[in-house]
Amino acid sequence: MINLARRVTFSLATFIALAVVSFLGIDALPGDGCTALLGRFGSDTKIESCRQENQLNDPVVVRLKNWSTDLISGDLGYSIKRDEQVSEIIIPRLRNTAVMAAVAAVIAFPSAIVVGLLLGRFPQKRSSKVVNQLSVIAMTLPEFVIATVLWLVLSIWLPIFPGVSVMPSNASVLQLLPNVWLPAFTLAVVIFAHSMRTMRASVTNVQTMPFVESAQLRGTKERTTISRHIVPAALPPVMNVVALDGAWLLTGTFVTEAVFNFQGLGRLAIDAISDRDTALILPIILFGLAVYLISSLLADSLARIFDPRLRSAKG
Amino acid sequence: MMTTPTQSQVLGFKAVTVRAKNESRESRPILDAISLQLEHGETLGIVGGSGSGKTTLLRLAAGVLAPGLVLERGEIETVGTNLLVASPVERESIYGSGVALVAQSVGESLTPHLNVLSHFRDAVSGEAVNERVLESLAEVGLGGEKYLHRYPHQLSGGERQRVLLALALVRSPQLLLLDEPTSALDVSIGSEVLTTIDRLQRSRGFALVCVSHDLGVVSQISKRIAVMNQGRIVELGQTSQVLRSPSHEYTKALVSSIPKLDQRIRESNSQSNETVLVCRNLGIVRGQTTRAIDSLDLEIKQGEVVGIIGESGSGKSSLLAAICGLVPISDGSLQNGDGYDLSTALQNRSRTVLSSIQMVFQNPDDSLNPMRTVAQSLSRYTQATNSEMSSVLLSVGLGEQFLTRRPHEMSGGEKQRAAIARALLAKPRLLLLDEVTSALDVTVQAAVMKTLADVQRKLNIAMIIVSHDIALVASFVDRILVLRHGQLVEQGSVDDVIKSPRDSYTQNLVEISGRRLSFELN
Amino acid sequence: MKTFSRLGFMRNRALIVATLGLHAFVALLAPYLKLLSTDAQDSAALLQKPSFDHWLGTDALGRDVFSRLLHGGRPSLVIAFAATAISCVIGIVIGAVAALAGGWLDDALSRVIDFLLALPTLILLLLISSFFGQDPFVLSVALGLMYTAPIARVARSATQTLLMRDFVRVARLQGGSRISILFGEVLPNVWRLMFTEVAMQFTWILLAFSSLSFLGLGASPPTPEWGLMIAESRSYMTLNPLLVIAPIVMLASLVLAIQALVDHE
Repeated sequence: MINLARRVTFSLATFIALAVVSFLGIDALPGDGCTALLGRFGSDTKIESCRQENQLNDPVVVRLKNWSTDLISGDLGYSIKRDEQVSEIIIPRLRNTAVMAAVAAVIAFPSAIVVGLLLGRFPQKRSSKVVNQLSVIAMTLPEFVIATVLWLVLSIWLPIFPGVSVMPSNASVLQLLPNVWLPAFTLAVVIFAHSMRTMRASVTNVQTMPFVESAQLRGTKERTTISRHIVPAALPPVMNVVALDGAWLLTGTFVTEAVFNFQGLGRLAIDAISDRDTALILPIILFGLAVYLISSLLADSLARIFDPRLRSAKG
Repeated sequence: MMTTPTQSQVLGFKAVTVRAKNESRESRPILDAISLQLEHGETLGIVGGSGSGKTTLLRLAAGVLAPGLVLERGEIETVGTNLLVASPVERESIYGSGVALVAQSVGESLTPHLNVLSHFRDAVSGEAVNERVLESLAEVGLGGEKYLHRYPHQLSGGERQRVLLALALVRSPQLLLLDEPTSALDVSIGSEVLTTIDRLQRSRGFALVCVSHDLGVVSQISKRIAVMNQGRIVELGQTSQVLRSPSHEYTKALVSSIPKLDQRIRESNSQSNETVLVCRNLGIVRGQTTRAIDSLDLEIKQGEVVGIIGESGSGKSSLLAAICGLVPISDGSLQNGDGYDLSTALQNRSRTVLSSIQMVFQNPDDSLNPMRTVAQSLSRYTQATNSEMSSVLLSVGLGEQFLTRRPHEMSGGEKQRAAIARALLAKPRLLLLDEVTSALDVTVQAAVMKTLADVQRKLNIAMIIVSHDIALVASFVDRILVLRHGQLVEQGSVDDVIKSPRDSYTQNLVEISGRRLSFELN
Repeated sequence: MKTFSRLGFMRNRALIVATLGLHAFVALLAPYLKLLSTDAQDSAALLQKPSFDHWLGTDALGRDVFSRLLHGGRPSLVIAFAATAISCVIGIVIGAVAALAGGWLDDALSRVIDFLLALPTLILLLLISSFFGQDPFVLSVALGLMYTAPIARVARSATQTLLMRDFVRVARLQGGSRISILFGEVLPNVWRLMFTEVAMQFTWILLAFSSLSFLGLGASPPTPEWGLMIAESRSYMTLNPLLVIAPIVMLASLVLAIQALVDHE
C-alpha cells in the first residue's frame, strides 16, 4: 500500500511538472491564439486589440496561475480561433475516439490473447506458422499503410464500408457507427499484432520453465496445465501491453483518424496544430499525459495481482 | 499400446544409444549402449560428472527426450510402457501413479502463483482433499496447516524439496526418479532430506533411481550404484562393493578424488610471524538491517592457510568481499599486516595495497570476460608480459596455448585455473578463494586443489578458503573457522575442530560429513 | 502449400540479406544511376500506367514513379540513422553511468528517464515539425532526443546485470579505474545486449518519419519520400494502383528485413 501511494504521488508530481513545462513550451512557440485567428498578415492593431481583450499580454506567471486555477475548477479554456469553449470542442470528439477505441479493444484484445496462447502452445502446426508470419507483417507496417490498405480493400474494391467520413463531430453514436468500423479495424490490427506476439512470446517463455514440466510429470491434465499453470504466469507482460496500448488507443490515433477523416481527438489534434490553436493543443497534450500515467499505474497494479511474489514485497 | 508388462520390472533400458541430432556418427554419443534393469522396490544410484549423460538417462526413464536429441537405438520400458512412443493420454495416466520425477531445479519447480494446496489439487480431488494433503505433507516432515496456504517463495529450499517429494508420492507411484535432490541445499538440510527419502522408501516400498554428482548422496539412499562416464556405464554393482573396491579406472579416480576428513592433501609449512590480516570486532551489514558478520576477530599470518566453513547465510562470502574491499564494513577494524586500514574504499587504495589481496570467485563461467582471450584478461590490469603470463599459467597447470584461447573454448576447470593465474599475477600476499571448486566435477576439483597446494608451497602466500564442504577444507588448511549466521562459533587447528569440536553445530557438520563418506547405509 | 512459401521470407537468411542489400544499393546509389528526374513534371503524361518510358507509370503531376520510388527511402533513412545514433550515444552513456555510479546519481537519472518516458512523443513530434518547419536537422535531433529514454532504461538494466558479473569485480580488485572498466568491460558487452533494441528503435524512427511525411509534416514536397508519395497518390489509386502499392512494398520490405535480421540474432 505504501508503494502504491508513493507511485501515485510520483505520477501526480510528474503530471504537474509536465503540465507546467507544456504550458511554458507552448507559450514559447511563435504565435498565439490571436495570430491563429487573424493570420500572420492580420493588421498589427487588430492583433493588439485582440490580445488586450483576451489578456494575452499579461506576464507569463499570471497567465500560468489563471490557467491552472481554471483547470482545477474544470474550465478548460477558450479557443479564440474557433470562438468556442475548449471543453465543447473536445468532449464530443473525445467521445468519438472513445467509441472507436472501445470497438477496437473489444475486437483485438481477447482474440489476441487467445490466438497468442494457441500459437505459443502449438507452434508446430502449419496454421500457426502462417498466422505468425501475417502478424509479423501487420506489426511492422506503419499505421497509415494498414489504414490505406483496409480503405482500399474494404471501401474501394469491395464497397462494404464508407470510406472517408463526412459526419459532423456531434452526431449521435448510432449515426457514427457506420464510420467507426474501418478506423476501428485499422487500430485493431495494430494492437492485435502487438498483444498477440507478446502473449505468444510469454507463453513460449513460461512453457520452458521447470514448473510447467514439473506439473506435467505429475500427471496434470493438459487443460489444467494450460489454465492453472501457464496462463496466469504468462499474463503479466501482456497486461502491461494491454494497458499501454489501451492508452495509445485514446491518445495516439491521429494517423488513422486522418486517413478516414474521423472526427475524433486525433483529428482534432492535427487540425489544432496546423491552425496553431494553442488553447486547444495544451489540453490535448495534458489528456495524453494523464492517460499514459494512469495506464502505467494500472499496468503495475495488474502485475501485482497476478504475481504473489510482488504482492508480499510491501504493497 | 501397453507392452506385456514384465511383472517385477519397473524400469528397463536395453542397449540404448542417444545422440545429438546434427552430430555425425563419429562423434561421441550422449548415451552409449546403456543397459540396466530395476525391479520393484529396488534402489539404484547413478553417479557421474557433468557430461556423463546421467541426467539424460534419468529423463529418458521418465519418457522425456530433449528436442535436440534422438534415440538412435535401443528400448526403454518404464512401469511396463515405452513412454517415448505412448500417446499423451497414456502418459498423463502413468505420470504420478506409475512413475514420478522430481527435477533438479528445486527453486523453480513449483508454480510461483499457486500455493501448496493448489499444487495438490492437480492430482487430488473429491472430498477430504485437505486431509489427504495434510497427510502427505506430514509424511515428508512438513506438519501443520500453515503449509497449505504458503506460496513457493515463502518456503525455504528444504521445504520446497519436501513439497515436491510429497507431490510426487501423493498417488503412490511404483517408481520415483530423483535428479540431484540435494545439490541446491545446505549440507545439513540436504542430509535431513535424504534421511526422509530413505525412510519413505523403506516404508512405502517404491523403486528409486537417484542421480547425483555426489557419491555421498547416492550412497546414502541406494543399494546399487551405476557409475557413468562419457555416456557409458563403466561400473554397476552393490554400492558398498563398488565404493570400497572399485574395479574401473574412472571409479577409482572418482573415489580417490573425494575429500576425506582424515586424509591430508597438503602439508602445512612453517609459518613466519609476519601478520597479513587483522580483524577486530568486525561487523558487516547487508541491505538495511541484516548483520552479515557480527563481532569477528581474526588474525592471519604470512604463509598460513585458513579455511572458513559455513552454510548459506553464514556470512562467509560477505567476509571475503569485505576483506578485499568490494563491500564496506560497518563496525570494528580491518587492517593488513602493515597496519593499513582496509576499510578504505577500493578507488582510494594504492596499487600495492590493492594487489596484495586478490580473490577468485565461484562461478567459472563468470570470471573471465567472454570477449577476451586469456592473455588479454590476464594482462589488462596487471600489465604482465608474455613471459610472465606463460610462467604463471604453467604454475597453475595450463600450457602456453591457453594464452590465445577464449572462455567458450575452455572447460570449467581450465577457466578456474586461468582465474587463479590472473590473481597470482598481481603477486598477492593474501589470496581469497570463494567456493572456487564447488562448480567443478570432483575429479577436476581434486586436480585444482593439488595445484593450489603447489602454488601455496612455492610462493608461501596466505590463503583463505571458503567452502561448504568440511572434508575439503579439513584436507587442505592449517586452521578452521566455523561461521553460523554471521557469528564465529568455532576456531582451531584442523585436528582440534574435526576430532573434538566444542560447538554442537560443528559437531553436527562433522558427523554428517563422516557419515556420508564412510559409505554406511542406515 | 506452395502459396505460403513466400511467407517463409522471415526465415530465409539469404532472402533477407538480399533485400537489405538491394535497399542499401538503391538508397546509396540512386542519384548516380541514370534515372529520370524526380521533379520533372510532364503535364502531357499525367497518371499514366506503366510504359516503356515510365517503368512504373507517372503520378498526378506527371513525374516518373520509378525514379521517385528509388529515391524515396533516402530522406527517412538519413533521419533514422542520425536520430538512432543520437539516441544511442546519449542513451547508452546515461544508462551505463547511472548503473555504474549508483546512489543518488542513479536515483536522479532514473527519475529523469521515467519523466522523459511519460512525454507523448508523437504529439510533440507533430508540434515540433509544425512550428519549426520541416528541417531534417531539427527533426533528427528531436526524434533522437525523444527516443533516448527507452534506450537509457534498457542500457541501465543491462549495465546493472553486467556489474554483477565476476569479471567486472575482478577488474576493480586489480586496480581498474571506473573509466577503464566502463570502456573496457561494460560498454562492449552492453552493446551486444542492446543490439536488438537499437535495431528495433531504428525501424520505429523510420516509420515515425514516414508517418509524419504522410501527414504532411515530415518531408516536404517535392521531395520524393515513400510516406509522402502514398499520401499524395491516395486519391488516384484506381487510375494507377502502383502509385500507392509500390511505396508500400518498399517500406514494408525494408522494415521486415531489418526485423527478421534482428530476430535471428
